[in-house]
Amino acid sequence: MDKKEKFIAAIKSNEGILYKIAAVYTNDKNDRDDLVQEIIYQLWKSFDSFKHQASFSTWMYRVAMNVSIYHLKVAKRKISTVPLDEHFLNLHDTDSSDAEEKWQTFKQLIDSLNLLDKGIVILYLENKSYEEIGQIIGISSTNVGTKLSRIKEKLKQQVVKQ
Amino acid sequence: MELDDFKNTWNEMGSQQKETPMVNLKKIDIMDKRKTYSVLIKILLPEILGSAICIGCAIFMGFNFYTLDTIAYQISGVLGIVLCLILSAISLMSIRTLYHPVDAGKPYAETLKEFAVNKIRFCKLQKINFTLSYLFFVTVILLLPKILGRTNFEGSYLYFLCSYTLGYSLLLLFSKWVFRSYNNTIRQTETLLNELAS
Repeated sequence: MDKKEKFIAAIKSNEGILYKIAAVYTNDKNDRDDLVQEIIYQLWKSFDSFKHQASFSTWMYRVAMNVSIYHLKVAKRKISTVPLDEHFLNLHDTDSSDAEEKWQTFKQLIDSLNLLDKGIVILYLENKSYEEIGQIIGISSTNVGTKLSRIKEKLKQQVVKQ
Repeated sequence: MELDDFKNTWNEMGSQQKETPMVNLKKIDIMDKRKTYSVLIKILLPEILGSAICIGCAIFMGFNFYTLDTIAYQISGVLGIVLCLILSAISLMSIRTLYHPVDAGKPYAETLKEFAVNKIRFCKLQKINFTLSYLFFVTVILLLPKILGRTNFEGSYLYFLCSYTLGYSLLLLFSKWVFRSYNNTIRQTETLLNELAS
């Protein structure tokens, strides 16, 4: 299997994650599509630097979340990137379903968090252990636990307010 | 509703799109042809343009410096040129903070810290830029009639009254909005930095 095929296979088995991360860091379809493209581009560009010291998904989380931070800053300046297929990522645009409503509630809550907490929540929802979260974020697992408790408390208060 | 209650929503979100692969060989070929430099230019174009205009203004004032015949005008002229150059330098410095190539392997917290520091630096630079623009505005109104040879405006109180009143009213409104927005951003980012340090 050559490098390109390896990359395609790796992305294929993790594309749901990329889509979710992009959806968390953006507010509209165009921005989300742009961000997915940018993440894939950055993953491809740095694919050679993936040394298998960590799992592909751990490395991919890091790249995707790092790219997302910077995308926030440049989103308004509209990067023109490689276009995705038209029928790709066309979910959640046509709304009104129960799932869409739940997602919007979730999005509203997660948007009230800062970027660090957002990252922790994403990984927590991905069922990563505290150790893995700490590894990806770059903080200790004890710190992850403390922060998660605070985040949960904060979100609970947000729900009550709503 | 608690965070754990959203796990289903989260999982559903990722499992819905499976029809088309995000990447294929054709897309990789297109990505290989994409030039980082051209993307960068697009992102940084407003700052580059701003700097070019400032430098252009400085050159224009330099070429017309001979029209400034009194010490007061000459001091204003020098001040105008210096301000133009400082403004363009600040714009170029902002470019560095605006786009930073992503270091793929870096932990998220480190990237976040770097991002926050750059964001604060960018906001501070923009605040300085805005304050200096005020000063530049004064010199431009003073020098413009002289440089353009409109001698009939030189002693016109009406011209100065209208220009300064209108210009400052607009600048004041705009600056209030800009400063509030930048101050909020700086405050939020500093909070994030404190949290990262804890």
